[in-house]
Amino acid sequence: MPPQLQQGVDFLNAEIPLEFYLVVGAIMFAIGAWGALIRRNAVVVFMCVELMINAVNLSLVAFSDYLPQANGEGTSYAILVIAIAAAEIAVGLAIVLAVFRSRRTVNVDEINTMKG
Amino acid sequence: MTFTGETFVGLLPELISTVFIVVVLMVGVFVEKSPDLTASLAALGALAVFVSAAVLLATGFSGEFFGGGFVVDNFALFFKMIVAGSAFFAVVTAARWSGRTGDLPEYMTLILSVVLGATLLVSVRDLFGVFLAIELATIPSYALVAFDRTRRESAEGGMKYLLTGVIASSVLLYGMVLIYGVSGSAALADIAETFTGQLTPVAILGLVMLLSGFAFKLSAAPFHFWTPDAYQGAPTSAAAFLSVAPKAATFAVLLRILLEGMPEAAPTWTPVMAFLAIVTMFVGNLFALRQRNVRRMLAYSSVAHSGYILAAFAALQGQGVATAVEAVLIYSAAYAVMNTGAFLMIELVGEDSKSFNGLFRTRPALALCMGIFMAALVGIPPFSGFFGKAWVLLAGAQSGSIVVYAVLGALVINSVLSVPYYFGIIRNMFFEEPTKDAISEPRDTGAVKASVYVLAAATTLFALVVGPLSALTRASGLL
Repeated sequence: MPPQLQQGVDFLNAEIPLEFYLVVGAIMFAIGAWGALIRRNAVVVFMCVELMINAVNLSLVAFSDYLPQANGEGTSYAILVIAIAAAEIAVGLAIVLAVFRSRRTVNVDEINTMKG
Repeated sequence: MTFTGETFVGLLPELISTVFIVVVLMVGVFVEKSPDLTASLAALGALAVFVSAAVLLATGFSGEFFGGGFVVDNFALFFKMIVAGSAFFAVVTAARWSGRTGDLPEYMTLILSVVLGATLLVSVRDLFGVFLAIELATIPSYALVAFDRTRRESAEGGMKYLLTGVIASSVLLYGMVLIYGVSGSAALADIAETFTGQLTPVAILGLVMLLSGFAFKLSAAPFHFWTPDAYQGAPTSAAAFLSVAPKAATFAVLLRILLEGMPEAAPTWTPVMAFLAIVTMFVGNLFALRQRNVRRMLAYSSVAHSGYILAAFAALQGQGVATAVEAVLIYSAAYAVMNTGAFLMIELVGEDSKSFNGLFRTRPALALCMGIFMAALVGIPPFSGFFGKAWVLLAGAQSGSIVVYAVLGALVINSVLSVPYYFGIIRNMFFEEPTKDAISEPRDTGAVKASVYVLAAATTLFALVVGPLSALTRASGLL
């Protein structure tokens, strides 16, 4: 095997450092937050929030896998978080549906009868 | 981790609310024409939670369960009583309103779910337990706000609350995960060992995100914008309940996280609290001044009162710690009685400030009660709000920090700023001519009226319980 190829194989076989997961998680969270702030469709906002929560989950699982003192507890917390996120979205979509029924729109800019 | 009889006794308030959630829901499903029955059951449930917490408190029960993740102490039990008490008044008020639309069982189930979440919240000692309990208290409150299908504002308020709430929840969760990553454990005792000396940037980022998430839940400025819309849209009973119970519980758990989880980092978080307190007080009061809608005015007033309680958090340093804990406890109790009463008055009179015109001539007893609530919200002795503010000032004076003195200055200025809008209502009631439609009284208001009288009496006689409350905090186990 040529040395360059061997180097590549070694690189792929090496353990991925914790920081990689955290950076990916942070980027995902930022994208989600950005989307949640700029998108006007309520359903798309939910998708972005889901992205944020999953980014957090990624960091959580990475922490619990890499930190010796965490004892892998984070994985069970991640399951908990997934369940909570599902509950949030279930209530959320019901409310969005209620808004849509009365106004025929889910654009958050057009839903503004209350001000001040 | 073992289950003993003691575990069940310690979990009594939570177990009772769980049982009543299931019973109320099932009665709603299987019993025909059940509004009255479910309303009485839910009221009984809230009362049972209140009594169980009171009995545990009176017997001096305390203990740690589930490997230290769940703690029952006087501090937690007291907040459970506040939560259950305000739930009781919400249930009594809602029975009249929601009986007409026929979905009373669902409404009661949601209120009891918030009670379960909030009672759990004050006892947990683990970051993810805190998140679970906060969400258990928050997710039903989105539904409560959006519950009134007859008003368009209700769904709108619910949606605004929800969209901002889920974003805040994920920020809060990210903060918790970062703190978990830094300290390798979610238990507050382990976090306390990590949060010493110089904090790492990740720890500070986690702390800031955690506090922003909490600031949202407490409707502290600049994260308060959901509050007026949510409270204006919500049914009155839900607004009265949500402005008191989940908020008091969130204050309690924030106090626990800060005091048990990161006491050494106090120099880092007290300035943040001071900043939040000052901004929140000014924003709440300045926006409340412009409101014509009483419901919206009270929503901004609740923002301002969050600011006053946050001032006590800023005073958690130096010699002021013990008094500041007392201040949070006393202010929460004082706010619970006066604010619930003020919101229930909207149910009886109306949400336009003009509908209070001449109330003293048409219904003098109610006008007197509203006068008491408004005076208490301003902080005039001998009503309840005065003792809350007095304790915050006392704690701040003992803390010996210049920043906290600035916060106290802002608190005094804001108390003066708040006079015009609270006394505007009093002026309307005593010196204006009654409008024509204000005279017609809504029907079936007996229970609501009785609640208002009870709360007015509690607001007036609050001085009698301040002494015991303060003694209770000294022995609360949090210090």
